[in-house]
Amino acid sequence: MENLENINKISTYQVILLIIIYRVTIAFTYLPVVNIPPGNQDIWITLLMSIPYTILLCVPLLYLGNKFSDYTLIEYTEKISGKIAGKVISIYYTGFLLLLSIINVATLVEILNSALFPETPTWITTIIMLITCVYIAYKGLKSIARGGEIFVPFILGVILLFIILGYNNYDFTVLLPVLKDSTFKELNIGAIDSGIKFSDIIILAMIPPYLERKEDLNKIYIKSIIYSIFIIILLVVATQAALGIEYAKHTNFPFFTFNRLINLYDFIQRIDVLSVVGWITGNVGKITGYLYFTSVAFSQTFDKNDNRPYIIPIAGIVFIATLLIKDRRSILSVGKVLQKTILITSTIALFVLPTITLVIYLFRKDKISNTNND
Amino acid sequence: MKKKILFINIIVVIAVALTGCWNAMELNTLGINLVLGLDFENGKVIVTAEIIEPVPAKEKSAMEKGSAVTYVQGIGDNIFDAFRNITLKFDRKLYIAHNKIIIFGEGFVEGESANDIDMLVRDHELRETTYFLIAKEAKAYEVMGIAAGLEEIPGNYILKLINNFKYNPKAVNVNLAEYLRHFYDMGRQPVLGIIEKKEKKQINKLKKSSKDKEYELSVIGAAAFNKHRLVGYLNGTETKAFNFIMGKVKTGIVTFPTPNESVDEISTPTLVMESDIDSQRPSKISMSTIDIIKLKSKRDVEIIDGNIVLKVDIRLRGSLEEFIGNMDISSDIEMKEIEKACSQEIKNKLMNTLIKVQKEFETDIFGFGNIFHRKYPKEWHEIKDNWNEIFSKSDLQVEVKTNVIRTGLINEPIGRIKGK
Repeated sequence: MENLENINKISTYQVILLIIIYRVTIAFTYLPVVNIPPGNQDIWITLLMSIPYTILLCVPLLYLGNKFSDYTLIEYTEKISGKIAGKVISIYYTGFLLLLSIINVATLVEILNSALFPETPTWITTIIMLITCVYIAYKGLKSIARGGEIFVPFILGVILLFIILGYNNYDFTVLLPVLKDSTFKELNIGAIDSGIKFSDIIILAMIPPYLERKEDLNKIYIKSIIYSIFIIILLVVATQAALGIEYAKHTNFPFFTFNRLINLYDFIQRIDVLSVVGWITGNVGKITGYLYFTSVAFSQTFDKNDNRPYIIPIAGIVFIATLLIKDRRSILSVGKVLQKTILITSTIALFVLPTITLVIYLFRKDKISNTNND
Repeated sequence: MKKKILFINIIVVIAVALTGCWNAMELNTLGINLVLGLDFENGKVIVTAEIIEPVPAKEKSAMEKGSAVTYVQGIGDNIFDAFRNITLKFDRKLYIAHNKIIIFGEGFVEGESANDIDMLVRDHELRETTYFLIAKEAKAYEVMGIAAGLEEIPGNYILKLINNFKYNPKAVNVNLAEYLRHFYDMGRQPVLGIIEKKEKKQINKLKKSSKDKEYELSVIGAAAFNKHRLVGYLNGTETKAFNFIMGKVKTGIVTFPTPNESVDEISTPTLVMESDIDSQRPSKISMSTIDIIKLKSKRDVEIIDGNIVLKVDIRLRGSLEEFIGNMDISSDIEMKEIEKACSQEIKNKLMNTLIKVQKEFETDIFGFGNIFHRKYPKEWHEIKDNWNEIFSKSDLQVEVKTNVIRTGLINEPIGRIKGK
């Protein structure tokens, strides 16, 4: 019986891989952290400092996840906050996941259009990408997680390969002096900014009911934060050492630009195509995950049993929104709006709403426990 | 069944859509470009492109040198405009993903703003590994189209000259990424390679040449910049000194005046045999050469009594490759004299270059500013905007130590008789 239940469950390892790659894909794609305060050689320290902030900011979310490990974020929000308030919060979360899906698709389309296929219309790139993602999302979480076991090591391998092959481009003196050009305030602002923008942790709040070992929730959380930060630090250090601090900030795709510099012995060159394969794979995996969880959030918000009928309509919304955004303006090079949007929506989704929900839970603890027992 | 039919239809539609995408680039529609020349004349940008002319392999052997390429020019309000205007007179779209070199005419660089080359960085086709060269006292198109080596394609000829940097540090090989890295640097200003057209002596009289004059190219020297402003040129010797200071020398030679006298007073002198070789006879050449095996350079900055001192410390390990003089090389003391002479020569060259850059260019192309920043971060924030001025007034201190670890296949100079 227990084995039967575990058929549709995913392992701790698979979840860690998914969350790591969802976060690393952003850095691998457009490395936004090189532009956060203090915007100099101390960025890697800012990233290290972001670990405690990320943990602190997500304490309410994590606490509730542990308490209601049989429910998703949408389900327990409604349980705690009541029917009406719960619905409102759930709609916000569904919208937040949808927004992240749109941003992910728009980002990938922008990369492909600006770096590879400038003449291909946006709708073609978007539709090809979405058909692939819808197909995988239809297959369910188990398939997404199993796919992650294959593509995540591949992407991490590609990143490592580029970091090793780029060795003759590095000038590590650009990372000096350490902590002399940044103020304590700047470092903390950067760390908080980076911690809040770790929006992918929302996936962890949706995943507990599907976990094989629910007690591993905290372990997954800590490990995915530490591993992903470590990989992002590697990306930042390699890119800054190769391009310099300011040039890295000027490029839309800093790690990709660094990859284009690799030229070893006049025959290992122009291998940035591998980077593009990594981008596409990572982004497809991420978009698929977000499509899936948006459909789950939607079905649970509106009390439907099956999420699958909503995957295609949601993909349709993502498609239309991507076209509207992408054919209007570049979201990466004119990226302040994007960063601001992510910052505000993430703060609400990861900190404000979970804190409110937690406060309500603490007040209504007994009543909710009784309902659970009933 | 219905699902299967739908699925097959989707696959067919996707397959049809994917076979020829919007960005397909067929070889017979492209003009593959190897070198771009950029000039500025009468308020317009002139782009000159060297394009490979694809020919069947069997025709290749009968081809004349230089005929494997063709040149086109475009004129426009900016680089991209000039670039696209080429399509109005050339039948193929230029494809610059394989471009290796960009040559800037001196007129383009003078008064250039970094924004003028924005397109070179913004466009996705051009690689960041493209080398930048300045056509010294010439237009870019004037130095293009010359292949004086064995390479058939002029672009490859220039590329090989740039790559020969590893054998001779009298040139620099700076690409787009490196230029930008230093352009943004507060503590180090960019340096670019240069290219010059020089008349070539006709030695091969058997070769019938229709031309009155023959030319060759030289990449000797470097151009120094203060941000985007060209401040001057370094000659070959100065460029070599620059590379010594920057620790970029992997191989190369040092030619120095041979010390005059034997100073060996301790060891027993070998008896001179009777011979018709007069070892005391002065040679017409008085320079000897050490081949560099390993060179280490360390730059430092110190504040001593309120004065900024720029320090360079060179450690050289080499092999005696040519010795023209009358010294007993087997004597440790005399060998030390040779090493000292070599060190002194390097020191003189480094000092001359440092003084020239300080006094004439007033621009820190050596990166002392970055070292100052690392060592004195607090003081740096106060002076960083005036660093070039401070650099040009700083004191200099150069230390060179040479160590000869090999003497080639012979020991004593061939004009010296060892005796018994």
